Amino acid sequence: MTEENTTTPDAQGEVMVIAEQMLGELQPVTLELLGAGRYLADKLKAQLTTVVMGYELGDMPEKLVHHGADTVYVADHPELYTYRTLPYRRVVCDLLSTLAVPPHIVLLGSSTTGRDLAPRIAAHFETGLTADCTELDVGPYEHKSKVDPSKVGLYENCLYAIRPSFGESLKARILGPWKNPQMATTRPGQMTPLKADPKHPGKIVSIPVNLLIEDMRIVVAETLRDMAKGVKLAEADVIVSGGFGLGSPDGFELMHELAACFENSAVGASRKVVDLGWIPYNHQVGQTGKTVRPKLYIACGISGAIQHRVGMSKSGMIVAINKDVDAPIFKFAHHGIVGDLYHIVPELIRQLKQQKSSGQEVPTVVHTH
Amino acid sequence: MANPFEIFVLVKQVPDQGSKAGLNPDGTIDRAKAKRMLNPFDRYALQAALHTKKTYGGRVSAISMGPPPAVEVLLEALEHGVDRGVLLSDRRLAASDTLATAYALYKTIEWVGRFDMIFCGLQTTDGDTAQVGPQIAERLDLPQITYCQDFSLEDGKVKAERIIEGGCQKLIADTPVLITVANSYHPLEYKSFRGAWRVQQLARNPEELKKYIQTVDLDLVAADPERCGLKGSPTIVAATEKVGEIGGNCTMHEGHSADELISELLHQSNLKEFLTA
Repeated sequence: MTEENTTTPDAQGEVMVIAEQMLGELQPVTLELLGAGRYLADKLKAQLTTVVMGYELGDMPEKLVHHGADTVYVADHPELYTYRTLPYRRVVCDLLSTLAVPPHIVLLGSSTTGRDLAPRIAAHFETGLTADCTELDVGPYEHKSKVDPSKVGLYENCLYAIRPSFGESLKARILGPWKNPQMATTRPGQMTPLKADPKHPGKIVSIPVNLLIEDMRIVVAETLRDMAKGVKLAEADVIVSGGFGLGSPDGFELMHELAACFENSAVGASRKVVDLGWIPYNHQVGQTGKTVRPKLYIACGISGAIQHRVGMSKSGMIVAINKDVDAPIFKFAHHGIVGDLYHIVPELIRQLKQQKSSGQEVPTVVHTH
Repeated sequence: MANPFEIFVLVKQVPDQGSKAGLNPDGTIDRAKAKRMLNPFDRYALQAALHTKKTYGGRVSAISMGPPPAVEVLLEALEHGVDRGVLLSDRRLAASDTLATAYALYKTIEWVGRFDMIFCGLQTTDGDTAQVGPQIAERLDLPQITYCQDFSLEDGKVKAERIIEGGCQKLIADTPVLITVANSYHPLEYKSFRGAWRVQQLARNPEELKKYIQTVDLDLVAADPERCGLKGSPTIVAATEKVGEIGGNCTMHEGHSADELISELLHQSNLKEFLTA
């Protein structure tokens, strides 16, 4: 990488967001990335572009312009209807190779799509990629370490890719200013989208789709989206989450029982118990799981490591139950109960049920707000 | 069969984050002191590899990269029934980011030889990136199935179920293929007593062990040291900062019976508003 070491400041590469649609539906993370991308592009005085791939995309390109893109590259092709690694990779790699100046920054969502596609693009262009960022910024960086003399120097306009590290209470700032594009993925729910502005000017450019036989080595036989059967963490008003403090996988029965007391509820979990196989991955809340903003979040036996916190700290009300009074979760919960969850939770269920039955008996009672 | 079905599985040794040993006061991990374990996600990859062998025949090779103690995870893989292990260990690999790691593992895979399927864990618990698998697939020019939660082999094709948001994709793939296995796949079966005993015997006989676990370095696998370690890594961790404590206005309920704590909570919060009708 030594030859490409110096990026010429006079040719400012664009900030590019790789848009994500599923079965013709634009995914919210794309609009969030455009919000973050707009901020970065304005700071760099660069263009904000986005590439959207699919089939019969309709007004999706216009929508992307309204949400901040200066240019939308559109690849509309029957073979792109559903996401597949190799065809999507081909279109993005071809596009990046034809640009006169490589993008300064390329952003993707850290969804199952983005986390599948981004590493392939990064490896193809031999460039850096930071996963699951919680903050993005640009700024200068001076590299002083002489371990690799070819890297020493002052670099303007580095992408600051900030992510929690190692499940600890540390944030790491990861940089790779030596080669463009500098790439990052961010979790859905982490960035703020711009309000749609129908007057925002932008151009829509159709790009060629040249797929090869070898891009068809995987066929999508079927796409099943059963939202009713799935875990509706993102849409739930109330989430009851269990952590290592449950002591065993059986503890999740209690979590389900508590969740059942609430309307539109779901059961979540900390990463540790998902790692241990106590509950499937799609229940995981946190940096490497889902980012959630329910009205009520009840954390049982969850210590509240940064990994978990970034995924749920924006909940309306957080109730934490933990026997360790020093657990970090008590630093950001709204209500904390110190005690054994196997005493506390059954009692909570009992009293909630009591409230409910008494509520039914006296339906005229109106709670004052 | 002239060519046995060749199954590779990539495994990594990670610090055990559940144990407090090796945690520095500033919250970083002292990898030298930390307890070590097989990356929990790799247990599913191992199960997928062993299941493939059991059902369709073939041979399983476990491949790892890390300092010499990482041989422990290969021994563990042997105990579970893997046929052989290869450890890439070289000081010049220190501080490799995902791109450099994927390059070094790609060279190692090429050195080990022909394969039909490569299984990886979804991600590691110490890096959390989920990048190395797809980056290896890119270098090997392979199709990939990430977030795979189930699969079978039919007529030489892999039929797989891949998790997506709110559902799954059913895929049909040619081999060779690289698969990253989600932890909703079947958990790793317990190792057999015989397997564990055999490996314990092996571990006492270094000469015999070498027949099953090979340690290789960058020169042997013909990897360019300039593309490994710090030099070959396009990213660096420039700074870490402690996360500021937010909130601090938590209403604590403690010191009473569960009964009293809960009535206090229900009295002071709006929990009731969310109850089912």
